[in-house]
Amino acid sequence: MISCKDIKVTFNAGLATEKRALRGVDLEIPAGEFVTVIGSNGAGKSTLLNTIAGDIKSSSGKLLFDAWDVTKVSAAGRTRDVARVFQDPLAGTCGNMTVEENMALAYGRGKRGGLLPALNDDLRELFREQLKRLNLGLENRLDAEMGLLSGGQRQSISLLMSALQPSKILLLDEHTAALDPKTAALVMEITDQIVEEKNLTVMMVTHSMRQALDHGTRTIMMHEGKVMFDLKGEERKNYDVKDLLNLFAKARGDGEELDDDKLLLGA
Amino acid sequence: MSLFSFLGTLEIGLIFGLVAIGVYLTFRVLDFPDLTVDGSFTMGAAIAAALIIAGLNPYVATVCAVIGGAVAGMVTAWLNLRFNILHLLASILTMTALYTINLRIMGKPNLALIMEPTVLSPFEALGISSMYLKVIFVAVVVVLVGMAIAYFLNTQYGMGMRATGANARMAQANGIRIKQKIYAGLALSNGLVALAGALFAQTNGFADSTMGIGTIVVGLAAVIVGESLFGSRSMLVIIFSCIIGSLLYRLAVSVALNADFIGFTTSDLNLITALLVALALIVPHIRREQKARKAAAVGGEA
Repeated sequence: MISCKDIKVTFNAGLATEKRALRGVDLEIPAGEFVTVIGSNGAGKSTLLNTIAGDIKSSSGKLLFDAWDVTKVSAAGRTRDVARVFQDPLAGTCGNMTVEENMALAYGRGKRGGLLPALNDDLRELFREQLKRLNLGLENRLDAEMGLLSGGQRQSISLLMSALQPSKILLLDEHTAALDPKTAALVMEITDQIVEEKNLTVMMVTHSMRQALDHGTRTIMMHEGKVMFDLKGEERKNYDVKDLLNLFAKARGDGEELDDDKLLLGA
Repeated sequence: MSLFSFLGTLEIGLIFGLVAIGVYLTFRVLDFPDLTVDGSFTMGAAIAAALIIAGLNPYVATVCAVIGGAVAGMVTAWLNLRFNILHLLASILTMTALYTINLRIMGKPNLALIMEPTVLSPFEALGISSMYLKVIFVAVVVVLVGMAIAYFLNTQYGMGMRATGANARMAQANGIRIKQKIYAGLALSNGLVALAGALFAQTNGFADSTMGIGTIVVGLAAVIVGESLFGSRSMLVIIFSCIIGSLLYRLAVSVALNADFIGFTTSDLNLITALLVALALIVPHIRREQKARKAAAVGGEA
């Protein structure tokens, strides 16, 4: 269970450029839940995700992983519990290292790096098995340099890597946004497959309302640094993109037209 | 080239193989251009020479030299990581400070080690001529160190170090403590360079306060020569290509200096080295451009 308790994040506090990115987020994500997060640009989606990962320190509030208070724990100190896939396919892997070396790095997440060889035949066998599930023929390219693979291939491997070790939460930061539609669909399919198989707890930020409703078990929408609404269970099943847009306009309550192209296009 | 000067070239080439490995660790593995080595090479020589003259066992003196180099590397890392000083500048600061420190360690600008015992002394009883003994000893040390470093880079810790240089964000997301890796990497690199300095002082019989000038360029030249000859992903091959690169570089320089018709003298060495490094950097760049142009042409047809 991940619990956010009144988390506030302010950038450049006290300066003219002060930005209150999160204005008190209360959120509980029970184990096994797959939360999708939507919201317009600057709503605080990525800030929330990076706060959970530890890249950003909250100005006030509390963050708990089960009973463990991680509010002041560094990003590196949290990695035993936090797995991530970035938006940029190049960011999640090392381009000048091989596929198996990258996977060995992810296999070591949350463990102390010792002076034993990072790779051995048992691990290679494990990696090969995992890669087979992607159906991309990568199981025969363990020793290929990561930089030679396509963005979709790299993102698929990043996903596998994130699930090599158990985690309390998997953070997906618009991980299909930089891919072409066909590859994005494939990566989403692999995401669902891995999440289901390993019963992962997931938080996925997305710009696409369609994606937010089609995947996962719960959807939250963020606006101006707060959770604006929270859809789950039966209620969520009956929602479609249009309802979501209406809800969004209503919740803002200012009669303002929805002007975020990305949200509409993503639908 | 006489046999004597050939063996001398081999010996120095092998010793600078250690420098090349050190430079590879910072420039390539950690992506941290570190110029501290100009100072830590001299420091290794200075500590070893001063301690041997003070009566310490040469092996103990050499270990102290390595530790001294490692500390110098950590000072550079500290300046960069703790105070955000640009890595190049941080290393230049350490290098400059080391010049004074090395003079203090030696007490005068140079020390002679002619009659003192060295790491080679225990083997002199074997009856091999010292000309060959030096080369064999240095070769064994360099090969052992090379194998150890290649092994290290394939361990969990070493791979974390490589990831730190290749993609720090990814490394961090996988729980790798990147600052710790940078400290360790700079310590290891400068420790190796100091070892090279200590061996150089003992095989050549002197330590001099200016002997480290240009070490970085020579190390870089060796790394680049090695890289352009072997394009492998295997750490063992990469590390040994640094050593071979260093040997080839020394041989090339020695041939150039010995060829009377070219008319080079030793004072031209720095220019030759700089040109060589520039050339080695330019060639792959041009090749990449050509490849990109070709790829673009193919893409245009399709």
